[in-house]
Amino acid sequence: MDGKGVRIEGLKKRYGSGDTAVDALRGVDMQVAPGEVVGLVGPSGSGKSTLLKCLGAVIEPTAGRMILGDEIIYDDGWKVKDLRALRRDRIGFIFQAPYLIPFLDVTDNVALLPMLAGKPNPEARSRAIELFQALDVEHRAKAMPSQLSGGEQQRVAIARGLVNRPPVILADEPTAPLDSERALAVIRILNDMAQQFETAIIVVTHDEKIIPTFKRIYHIRDGVTYEEAGEGRSIA
Amino acid sequence: MISLAGRDIMHSLGKFVLTGMGLGLLIGVTLSMAGIYRGLVDDGKALLENSGADLWVVQQDTIGPYAEASSIYSDVWRGIRSMPGVARAANATYFTMQVRQGERDVRAMVAGITAGELGTPGWPPHLIAGRQITRGHYEAVADFATGFKIGDRLQIRRNYYTVVGLTRRMVSSGGDPIVFIPLKDAQEAQFLKDNDAIWQQRHRTAANQAFNRPQVPGLLDAVIASQSTNSYVNAVLVQVEPGHDVDAVAESIRRWKRLTVYTRSQMEEILVGKMIATSAKQIGMFLAILSLVSAAIVAFIIYTLTLGKIREIAVLKLIGTKNRTIVGLIMQQAIALGVIGFVVGKITATLVMAPIFPKYVLLQPFDSIIGFVVVMVICMLSSIISIRAAMKVDPAEAIGG
Amino acid sequence: MKRFPIQKRTLVMLVVLLPLLALFVYVALRSGTLAPVDVAVAKVENRAIAPALFGIGTVEAGYTYKIGPTFAARVKRLDVQVGDHVRSGQVLGEMDPIDLDARIRAQEAALRRTEAQLSEAQARHVYAQAQAQRYEKLMAARTTSEEIVITKKNEQQVAEASMNAAREESARVFAEREALIAQRQSLSLVAPADGLVTLRNVEPGTTVVAGQAVVELIDPKSLWVNVRFDQIHANGLAADLPAQIVLRSQADELRAGRILRVEPLADTVTEETLAKVVFDQIPDPLPAVGELAEVTVALPALSAGPVIPNAAVQRYNGKLGVWQVKDGDLQFTPVTVGAADLDGRVQVREGLKVDDQVVVYSTKVVNSRSRIRVVDHINRTKP
Repeated sequence: MDGKGVRIEGLKKRYGSGDTAVDALRGVDMQVAPGEVVGLVGPSGSGKSTLLKCLGAVIEPTAGRMILGDEIIYDDGWKVKDLRALRRDRIGFIFQAPYLIPFLDVTDNVALLPMLAGKPNPEARSRAIELFQALDVEHRAKAMPSQLSGGEQQRVAIARGLVNRPPVILADEPTAPLDSERALAVIRILNDMAQQFETAIIVVTHDEKIIPTFKRIYHIRDGVTYEEAGEGRSIA
Repeated sequence: MISLAGRDIMHSLGKFVLTGMGLGLLIGVTLSMAGIYRGLVDDGKALLENSGADLWVVQQDTIGPYAEASSIYSDVWRGIRSMPGVARAANATYFTMQVRQGERDVRAMVAGITAGELGTPGWPPHLIAGRQITRGHYEAVADFATGFKIGDRLQIRRNYYTVVGLTRRMVSSGGDPIVFIPLKDAQEAQFLKDNDAIWQQRHRTAANQAFNRPQVPGLLDAVIASQSTNSYVNAVLVQVEPGHDVDAVAESIRRWKRLTVYTRSQMEEILVGKMIATSAKQIGMFLAILSLVSAAIVAFIIYTLTLGKIREIAVLKLIGTKNRTIVGLIMQQAIALGVIGFVVGKITATLVMAPIFPKYVLLQPFDSIIGFVVVMVICMLSSIISIRAAMKVDPAEAIGG
Repeated sequence: MKRFPIQKRTLVMLVVLLPLLALFVYVALRSGTLAPVDVAVAKVENRAIAPALFGIGTVEAGYTYKIGPTFAARVKRLDVQVGDHVRSGQVLGEMDPIDLDARIRAQEAALRRTEAQLSEAQARHVYAQAQAQRYEKLMAARTTSEEIVITKKNEQQVAEASMNAAREESARVFAEREALIAQRQSLSLVAPADGLVTLRNVEPGTTVVAGQAVVELIDPKSLWVNVRFDQIHANGLAADLPAQIVLRSQADELRAGRILRVEPLADTVTEETLAKVVFDQIPDPLPAVGELAEVTVALPALSAGPVIPNAAVQRYNGKLGVWQVKDGDLQFTPVTVGAADLDGRVQVREGLKVDDQVVVYSTKVVNSRSRIRVVDHINRTKP
């Protein structure tokens, strides 16, 4: 991984057109360095979901620029042909709920991504196992997702986000269903992982429990981001 | 890469197999329906095969003896026998009636067969038990579908017959089992009036002054005797000598004997094309509807299965799964479902359904192959709806839910 | 892949799907048109067979007497009822004589008259004869003329002729009277032989025409069965062959009999040969005339030879033969068959040896390409 993180410049997104047009993003600037975990905070309807979707290459922004690592992926238009491969190889996703594939066991849930990328099964699985060691779910590698506790599932989901070593991981409310202790544990893991794998992690949240842990926070309001320094409270 | 479809099936194997079995029952019914149709056609042909005849000589301008009533004098065969190219000619009568045995009665076609050397046309070509008829009267060879056993005493009209042999798949074109009895008895059975009718006829004749003249003793007896004699048969079955053209022989009989003659292919056309045409269409229609229903159900099942996985599909798409992989997931499941359904359907159709139908159900391997292909095609087509639904799933749905 | 959950599922799959698959393969190959044809085989036996002929007939009386008047007459009385046994010479009834007695009396009177006339003619003749002799003597004495003598002779001849005429007339009248008496006697209906009354066609008071039967008698001792044999099966039928008779009313009882004669005329319409079969012992009670009877005639047994069940014989490509199992495949062997018995055994003249195996039963019409499975007996319940 190149370790250049992610940078967004003047990103705009308009839904619809003419009179009914809604500007969801009006010029977002954002930069996250590798190994850094930043918070993206904002009320409902502020545009954080839209930003996440643009960044996750599932919807197309209207204008602006997105740079992932050292590659411009968007500059008033997609610069990458295969968005699917982009999502698969260079962006990690962690969702509010773990969204594990129920019919795959824990290992294959994670190993699926490298497999999709064309890696041989044993290699994909050993990668997954490696991550499980780091995330301390190794003992559940053979279990089915339904046999795991919520925290374990979330850790497996994190492993899935990490498995292809993407330069950026987008975490969408990863702690919403968790109590504060577990939520903090997740954030700690994300921090550890960001550093360990040199990944930029953007955590979309409005979870008051975890906001203080970020060193840097982007507030988004009416489609515009405002950067501020976070408390950077350490999580013991 | 791992098989997503396989893993999904394995994950919910019980549900999947049960669904497949349910589908299988439906496919079984469909296959049985095809079998019933084939059985119907086969019933029509069985009669022709089993009669051993090359030509059927019947009353002029009738399509007898099976599809219409036909009666010709019983001595016509002698003239036909002497025609060039005719190897064997034998009288035959066919008459569908209730055959009684003890308390029960069975609907059967009573076939009168000419006594003679073994292998005479009209005789059952093979038996499964017992022996062929040796006595010229009061012996019967019955199809086992009648339920009669060797040694049973049957009552056909006024006479009793002993079952001496059993056949298999000797049925009329309507599917009624055949009971073979000697021709003379069959003629009697077919043309014989019941006792009351005979009595009434006798009295009627006696009351007629023209027939009952005191001056002419014996006239009444002569008239009554002439009324009760009959010497008709329904058809003459002809075997053509090897080396002679069947159509040429048929033509010469037609021309010189002034009778209607059918060859086997014409007879088949009558039996299959005319007699069972409507029923066949009926069943064909039902088969088509069943296929459509099956297709709809397969489509529903697969659609439901897919809808249950919409979120997983969204996640899969988001994490970069190719459309092909997702199409594969759905289609492979559809096909697996179809295969299980077909296997279960074939088994149930053969072992469970076919034996309980009262009429013959013929499950042909070729039909099964067609059935399999159709099931596969239906499964694939049905999965298209689901695939479209899956393709419409927006990966963005996984985010910010 | 060696993970526990998968393993368990694989196990489940094996348990559920493998038998299903096995069943499927079995179903696909062992049923329907791909299934092998079950055949049952039998050995060619070496045995003597006793051919027999089977026919049906009706009980009839050998002699039937139809008794009636010889001229139109009215029935006066009938003394017998149907079922009565009568003896030869017994009067069964009488026709009404009506005017017959009067006519006889008239004839008697006529006879007396002719007798009187005869006496008169005889007297005239005696007188004429005496006169003639006297005149002849006178002629000899030349006391009368020759003319007178001739006249007297003539008179004598005339008297003789009229006497003869009167005698013949008397004989005629006598004969007529005799005829009337005979007629009077024939009004009695008399049994010509011992017998059983089977019909009483008319009742007293009915007028019947000449020749119409009033009463019918049969001779119970002449009871026989008129049997019809299909011409195809009539080979070997001859007089004096033993026969078994089963009456329709007594189906369980076998009665011995023999063929009395084979009719020289066969029935062309029904294509049957007729024969008369008599009972060795007339059944008691008598079987009803007209009752149906089944007759089995045993023909002399044939010497031993290869024998097969008739169910084995089939026609294939126009040839009569049997199917044989050779190295697991079917092979058609043409045969020439000989005599058959009523139990379904057929002698083979050519084509098979004793102890050869032939296919007797099969679930389908077989041909040389049929896949077969040899079984002891065919299970009929299988479709």
